[in-house]
Amino acid sequence: MSSENQDFNKTKAFLIDMTKCTGCRGCQVACKQWNQLGAEKTEFFTGEGYQNPPLMSEYTFTRIKFRDYEKNGQNEFAFYKEMCMHCNEPACASVCPVGAFKKTKEGPVTYDAERCIGCRFCMVACPFGVPKYEWSKALPLVRKCTGCYSRVKEGLKPACATTCVSAITYGNREDMIKEANKRIAARPEKYLKKLYGSEEAGGTSVIYLTALPFDELGFKPVTKRPLPSYTWQALRLVPGIFLTVGGSLSLLSWFNHRKERIAKEEEQRKSGATPKEES
Amino acid sequence: MTAAKIIANEIKGYHRFVQFLIVLVAVGALASLARFVFGLGVTTNLNDTFPWGLWISFDVVTAVPLAAGAFTLGAIVHCFHIKKLEPLVRPAIVTGFLGYSLVSVGLLLDLGQPQRCWHTMVYWNPHSPMFEVSMCIMAYTTVLFLEFLSPVCEKFGYHVPLRLLRTIEMPLVVAAASISTLHQSSLGTFFLIAVDKLHSLWYNPLLPLLFWISAMCAGISIIIVEATMSHKYMGQPDEGELLETLAKILPWVITVYLTVKFFSLFALTQGPLFNRPGLLVLFIVEVAVGMILPLVMLMSRKVREDNRLRATAAWLVIAGIILNRFNVSMFGMEAPGTFYYPSFIESLVTIGIIAAHILFFVLIAKYFPIFEHHPETVDYSIPDHFHKTEKGHAHGAAKA
Repeated sequence: MSSENQDFNKTKAFLIDMTKCTGCRGCQVACKQWNQLGAEKTEFFTGEGYQNPPLMSEYTFTRIKFRDYEKNGQNEFAFYKEMCMHCNEPACASVCPVGAFKKTKEGPVTYDAERCIGCRFCMVACPFGVPKYEWSKALPLVRKCTGCYSRVKEGLKPACATTCVSAITYGNREDMIKEANKRIAARPEKYLKKLYGSEEAGGTSVIYLTALPFDELGFKPVTKRPLPSYTWQALRLVPGIFLTVGGSLSLLSWFNHRKERIAKEEEQRKSGATPKEES
Repeated sequence: MTAAKIIANEIKGYHRFVQFLIVLVAVGALASLARFVFGLGVTTNLNDTFPWGLWISFDVVTAVPLAAGAFTLGAIVHCFHIKKLEPLVRPAIVTGFLGYSLVSVGLLLDLGQPQRCWHTMVYWNPHSPMFEVSMCIMAYTTVLFLEFLSPVCEKFGYHVPLRLLRTIEMPLVVAAASISTLHQSSLGTFFLIAVDKLHSLWYNPLLPLLFWISAMCAGISIIIVEATMSHKYMGQPDEGELLETLAKILPWVITVYLTVKFFSLFALTQGPLFNRPGLLVLFIVEVAVGMILPLVMLMSRKVREDNRLRATAAWLVIAGIILNRFNVSMFGMEAPGTFYYPSFIESLVTIGIIAAHILFFVLIAKYFPIFEHHPETVDYSIPDHFHKTEKGHAHGAAKA
């Protein structure tokens, strides 16, 4: 949780304009190459339509989802690039007991495999269902899109953004949101008047522009509030509760035991005997 | 005779049920070995959609409240000073200690990198409820172990450590209650992050408080069930009168729980409540059969005074809390149209862990003075000379 005083406008972000995506899946290939990910055996129609592979996995950090729909009586495809959203305030970083996830100042959320204990809380917490697990291994680790941090910190663009001919723009988050709004203003009949990622989960480093309503594309509805705040509102009370419960129980037992001790002493004084041995 | 032969002979003398438990534990141990050899992916039904399954839902999230008897009773007896309940404390502490040790086993099995479990102590992330719970479980298992040492020292007649243990007894009881408050509630905090996943029948900001109060209900009910069963099956003294007192406290705790539950359900919940009929049925069963029915039962004096009916009511509460934990951590988290069920090996491991709990309890009760600890033999003041624990004058062990 290094992100509290961070200016997210200056972090790097993806602007993904899905009206410009042709479904070539060059980004999927570039991602596999840069991250040295293994191939997966794929089959058509295992998921919805022509998309491949059917789901993100330990071998697939990003993929293009294909969605059929009808427009003016004709079948059309809508595309949606699925990847880690690199939240401004990531749920995964907040719940990880050993702090293996980190929001970098450049923007990508990184994962430290050396720290991970494999509790999979990040997978439960992520509202976008991004972290995947190495189910094939005896001692598995979590796998997810790295935002190509190794490239970004050297001033390069992520592999997928480099390879994409039109749909992915990469730059400062502030500029990306400005650019997106500019595009909506220029072609209001073409775009849906909403950016996915500008506010979702408190804002993410991936901003989507689409022509179709987001739920039709399979986007999950996600709260606008940063997720870590939901648990923190309870967890921040922990030291106080510990001291209150501990203190009041100590006082209570001290008081109750004192009452007993006094009663006992009184009894002894009355009988005038020496302290009685326990029998 | 060699040691192995002595042990084999001893086991031959056990009741058939105990021998059966030993078999179950052995099978569970083999199943968990398979998990480490072949990996989580092959041996469990977990996948990227259901990263947490039976082991988290039962072995951790459910087993922790079921082991809550120790802190609840410790606080009732020692802090509120209801001294007559004292004979129930030791069995409760043994149950708690076993419960937590087995929770730790369950957690280790579920971790992908169990050899790195010490990382939680080195790399701190205080924003994580998991960090909080793992620290508390480590601390509390230590406290329960220290509390459990008393009967062990008595058995072997170690006077000096016994005196030391009695000196720190009260601080331990207070520590137990405060640590438990933290992690029992933090188990609820786990699911606060699942804003868009956990169904609104269970998701609300008071989830941690509800987990804490229901853990106390579970703790009290477990003590009632356990004392009734050890009277019936293990020939231990009938603690009926003491259990009546507990059965009087229990309805009050349930009432507080139900009040908070309904308040949070109607005042704090956002999102639809009635859109998933299956979940609605689970919720109604949980609340009506698991809480309201035993509440009504325990309000009648006849039920409280009858060993069998009292235990039945306690069983209902326990069932209600088990169902609640499964609802929160498994059923309520499932997206519509998806379904997780535990694999064969997952189930074997969990059955083994339950069997291990009963088995170790029976064995500890057999070899250590945990039931013979009666108030009339106990002096609550700190002992002022070492000979007080000698044979014949021992604290608690005197009645052997």
